[in-house]
Amino acid sequence: MRVWAIGATNIRRMLRERSNIFFVFIFPIAIILLIGAQFGGDFDPVIGVHLGDDGEIATSIATELESLEDIETLRFETEDELFSRVEYGSVQAGVSLPAGMDDVAAAGRVVEIGFVARTDGFGPQLQAIAAATISEVMRPVGAAQFASSETDVPFDRALAIARPLNDQIAAIDVEVATLGEAIFPQSLGRFDLGAASQLVLFTFLTALAGSAALILTRQLGISQRMLSTPTSLRTVVVGESVGRFGVAMVQGVYIVVLTLIIFGVNWGNPVGAVLLLIVFSAVGAGAGVLMGSTFSNDQQAGGVGVMLSLGLAALGGCMLPIELFSPTMRQVAHITPHAWAMDGFAELVRRGGGPLDIVPELSVLALYAVVLFALAAWRLRVAITRP
Amino acid sequence: MGATTRIATKDLKLRIRDRSAIITGIIAPLFLAFIFQLIFGGAFDQSLDLSFGLVDLDGTEVSAGLGQVLDAIEGEGVATVERFGSRAEAEDAIEEGGADAFILIDEGLGRSVMTNMEATIEVVGDVDAPTSTQIAESIATQYATGVGAAQLAVGTTAAASGTPLTPDFIASLSADPATAAFSYELTDVTTATRQLDATTYFAAGMAVFFLFFTVQFGVLGLLEEERDGTLARLKAAPISRASIVAGKALLAFLLGLISTSVLVVSTQLLLGASWGSPLGVAVLVVAGVLAAVGIMGLVAAMARTPEGAGNLGAIIAVILGMLGGVFFQLGSGDDFLSRLTFITPHAWFMRGLADLADGAPWTAALPAAGAILVFAVSTGSVGWLLLRRRISE
Repeated sequence: MRVWAIGATNIRRMLRERSNIFFVFIFPIAIILLIGAQFGGDFDPVIGVHLGDDGEIATSIATELESLEDIETLRFETEDELFSRVEYGSVQAGVSLPAGMDDVAAAGRVVEIGFVARTDGFGPQLQAIAAATISEVMRPVGAAQFASSETDVPFDRALAIARPLNDQIAAIDVEVATLGEAIFPQSLGRFDLGAASQLVLFTFLTALAGSAALILTRQLGISQRMLSTPTSLRTVVVGESVGRFGVAMVQGVYIVVLTLIIFGVNWGNPVGAVLLLIVFSAVGAGAGVLMGSTFSNDQQAGGVGVMLSLGLAALGGCMLPIELFSPTMRQVAHITPHAWAMDGFAELVRRGGGPLDIVPELSVLALYAVVLFALAAWRLRVAITRP
Repeated sequence: MGATTRIATKDLKLRIRDRSAIITGIIAPLFLAFIFQLIFGGAFDQSLDLSFGLVDLDGTEVSAGLGQVLDAIEGEGVATVERFGSRAEAEDAIEEGGADAFILIDEGLGRSVMTNMEATIEVVGDVDAPTSTQIAESIATQYATGVGAAQLAVGTTAAASGTPLTPDFIASLSADPATAAFSYELTDVTTATRQLDATTYFAAGMAVFFLFFTVQFGVLGLLEEERDGTLARLKAAPISRASIVAGKALLAFLLGLISTSVLVVSTQLLLGASWGSPLGVAVLVVAGVLAAVGIMGLVAAMARTPEGAGNLGAIIAVILGMLGGVFFQLGSGDDFLSRLTFITPHAWFMRGLADLADGAPWTAALPAAGAILVFAVSTGSVGWLLLRRRISE
């Protein structure tokens, strides 16, 4: 009974803290929204185009680029502006069509087109796409140049012959197929991946942030006073742990329920998801009590708490999917409980697994919880009874 | 002035002894920059490592053209190319991770082209290598267009000279019609990349993110003195009210300056970050610290208790950090987020560092530093007035 009273007090304290309205209830949802908007769904890379003049070749290339699917195009007035936007990365690649392309082509010379891209990400892909598109437009031009050099027909007339002929060339179609099972299936919702990551990140973060409350309880001598009442040391220790666990669960359940309602996030098998949340919250709670009994300065604990929860979350695959890690880093990642929880959610959400499929993940997490709680109980006993 | 520095040095000693400022100001950002670099470094700086397969079941002169295109790409060091004898072999290579995608030319392509019949080239890619698959698709498309260009060149020449299109006519051409596909050149003219490498990006992001929390330790000191009653004693001393506020602001400035400087130097030495021109970085850091002091000072002035100021400050620091793109760059193209990010000093700080990348002179950081100073002056002056009035009451 007393255990529940101590636990419930802790949850009430968290809910009453006004800044927690932001950090526990608004911030996680905002992050899921932001990440969903940024990375989820269909992100279209942007190609910037600068036209040196409105000659025929330049305009056709620009129009052809603009008609590409899955690519967004933006026209720029000056080459400098285009280059600078690419350099800063808000435009992924740029095609600079110089002035006088028509004249260069008519003279039978090679038309030079500039391409800029950042070295990361989309550069090579966009260069290949741009080249394929430009080839299409330049086809009659090249044919006309060839014909004009083979015969004495001037370029303009050759081009006039080539244009209608172009449509008579039988097409070679390129068909694309994929092999293997996708790590991230198409059916994965826009917010699904982010929601599981943020659930794991914030449940742990909130549980660790709770350690500050425990430090305050000790500093103010509340723990000692509890001992002076007919309350056993065991009850105080278990009660504080229940409190931290409850705080973590409030955070976790809130994220699951709200994302389910607002974003329609798929959490997979409900029993599996709840079990995973309970065991992971216990891990967070254990870590929270351990920190709360080890540190004696709540500001220090706050800094270390943020550092550990962000660091472990990143390492555990909450910021970049663990499937994209190098093999070595993937092994290192499984030092963190986060990686196991993320594996569990991946099994439930992406592969449609049930509670039985996540027994390994649940067992490892349970082991973390037991070890952390054992350490925490020992440290808390020492901290409270230390004269 | 003496009072200001004395207040600041006393508090600085206290903060260093307390160690929380060291954890927040130096250890946490350094640790996180290290972890982020470890995880995102690979994904961030990846120079795409493409491996393509080619299955040429046609074996004609026409199909050999694709092999030449792929060899040229391999020659540029962009991709590795392996030839497979059958579809099954190539599929196995993909399943086993030996290739990202392969291009298959079925028997009969050469004949179809010669007789102007439609044909198909297949691209088969690993489902988890969409980028490589798309590049393979583009290469195949470009090759198909090139084949068409050669056909068109021959056809146009025949029509222009009024000769019928016969094998004899084709043999009589003085140049290879395949050259018609090379009427243009797409040259990579990328000169500068005002772009931070992963290590520097995260080092800078974490430094400016935690800077706001570190500075808070200084600013909140004033509210703590107010709560603990020591402010009344300070006011009783023969020093000006302004010098009390100035002392706390100086402390906040020093805390921010010291921690950020330590971070710049240590990430450069330990993690291999490259911050760019030292003078330019110094200008940005000073501007950034001033903006942090200004914003956090304003927060302190508006809050009633140190706890309240701490919470509000944390909320504002977290929102500004997220919007400012300290964890990941926000927005793309012309969208709303890519504009919104510049309402934060964080985004300007990162922009200024990007301007310094690639060995640009220190003056390249001045526009961004100017923008950051606008935040510093506008928030700082209001905060200053409010705090002075508050302790004068």
